[in-house]
Amino acid sequence: MKNRLKVLRAERNWNQQDLADALGVSRQSVNAIETGKYDPSLPLAFRISEVFGLPIEQIFSRD
Amino acid sequence: MVVSETKSVGALHPATWASAFTLGLVVTGYLERNAEIGRSGAILLMALSSLFLIPMVRSAQLRAVAKGVNSTAIQAYNRRFMAWTFGYMTALTISITAYQKLELTGPSVWLAALLPSIPVLGMIWTMGRYLREEEDEYLRLRAAKAALLATGILLALATAWGFLEMFRLVPHVPSWAALPLWAIGLGIGQFILARES
Repeated sequence: MKNRLKVLRAERNWNQQDLADALGVSRQSVNAIETGKYDPSLPLAFRISEVFGLPIEQIFSRD
Repeated sequence: MVVSETKSVGALHPATWASAFTLGLVVTGYLERNAEIGRSGAILLMALSSLFLIPMVRSAQLRAVAKGVNSTAIQAYNRRFMAWTFGYMTALTISITAYQKLELTGPSVWLAALLPSIPVLGMIWTMGRYLREEEDEYLRLRAAKAALLATGILLALATAWGFLEMFRLVPHVPSWAALPLWAIGLGIGQFILARES
């Protein structure tokens, strides 16, 4: 799965730790999701969507 | 702040402390066989070697925090695992000493023999508890993957060794070696997965 986490984060001037804190996960998890090494579960994807205020399909897309 | 702590307190890599611990055990085994230090001397040396585990865990924890893994579940795991490790050393010391000095017979031998197993069960419980307590799904998955890899390594080694033993090609290894071997496999698994990420 592709995602726009890095871009969305940059738009808000957040570093990985800021996003990790907002999501309640480790910075390593954010890094793993951003780099496509880990696809988040549906609950976490919903949390990401809430944090960015965007629907899931605007953040994640199929390869 | 975290990085500077890593530099000052955790300057040495956890693997260095783990190697020191392993070396301590190897030297203890060698001295017990060749230098007649006796069982109590061996226990003392083994207990002293296990002190290397304290800076090892501390260094690993500081490095993990510096790398963005700040999990209270991992901290609880480390704390509990250290407590059970020292419990194991204590139980082993009590059992061996009691067996040698008190000339135990009957049910007390069973008790002495099973005593060191209790903290080992505690270590296994600690691992299971970590998987339940870890709220970070990525870290949880990584720990579960490492545990599966460790189980695979242990099963492969135990099976191969069993056949080698059957054909009298290698010496017998006591079955209590299963957990330390599994723990080594867990360390290897965590190292591989951490490098991948």
